[in-house]
Amino acid sequence: MGFRLKVEGPETIDLGIENILTVEFKTDTPDDSNARSTDLGTSLIVTGKILTAVDGEEADSTIKLTQWSLVPGERADCYRKVTVDIIAASQVVRQIHLPNAFIVDYTEDYGDEEGIGTFYLHMKQKKDKTPMVKLEGGFEE
Amino acid sequence: MGFRVKIEGAETIELHVESVQKVKLKTDIPKDSNARTKDVGSTMIISGKVLTAVDGDPFDSTRQMGLWSLVPAEKADCYRKVTVEVISADQVVRKIFFPNAFVVDYIENFGDTEGVGEFELIIRQKKDKLDKVTIEGGYGA
Repeated sequence: MGFRLKVEGPETIDLGIENILTVEFKTDTPDDSNARSTDLGTSLIVTGKILTAVDGEEADSTIKLTQWSLVPGERADCYRKVTVDIIAASQVVRQIHLPNAFIVDYTEDYGDEEGIGTFYLHMKQKKDKTPMVKLEGGFEE
Repeated sequence: MGFRVKIEGAETIELHVESVQKVKLKTDIPKDSNARTKDVGSTMIISGKVLTAVDGDPFDSTRQMGLWSLVPAEKADCYRKVTVEVISADQVVRKIFFPNAFVVDYIENFGDTEGVGEFELIIRQKKDKLDKVTIEGGYGA
């Protein structure tokens, strides 16, 4: 499967199939609920590779993810529009859209044995805007 | 074993043998009970595959489950009727029916090395309606 991540804010961050390794979508309510809880949150977890640019090409936009993760809560641009496409066999299996996503965790890992780094990006939709989350899919690319 | 899952509400979601991989039924009772407690809950964990439609086949209904997981508690539609049938050798080993099920967690996982995704749906019967849960089985399919 292939993935496309697009983050729209003051700048646009695009990551494609070369970069992204896994995507996880999660709807989370308290596990001890006796009935449907109003405390409903959605998470999107993306992991991938940090590639090194060779032959003078442009570096990938993972550095912009790092910069986004550092934006403090006082600034409006800590919330950004995120779209993830999950593609298999020319079909868009899922198109997940979080219009007011913020970063909960961002981790980058590097080792002396690898030529690439890895990143782990955990985003959540602003909880009071959960109804704006869109989960589409099942159409041709 | 094969599993058939049917979720009835505003729309009907059906999952077939190809999609569903595992079903777990759990009766939750506090571990520190000294005698039979009134605090009994019933939870079901259904996990399986998110398939990609090829050759113009219709898409599987996993996306509708994701949409159900996003229905807020204020809407009546967050409670749905769930029927799970466990079938083996033409026999219905179990038929579990939750008439007022709600989603506790819903998780979708996708990776760049797989052609299919994975889902996990955790549902629970509304606790005050626990006596409405029916478990049947032991007859021909």
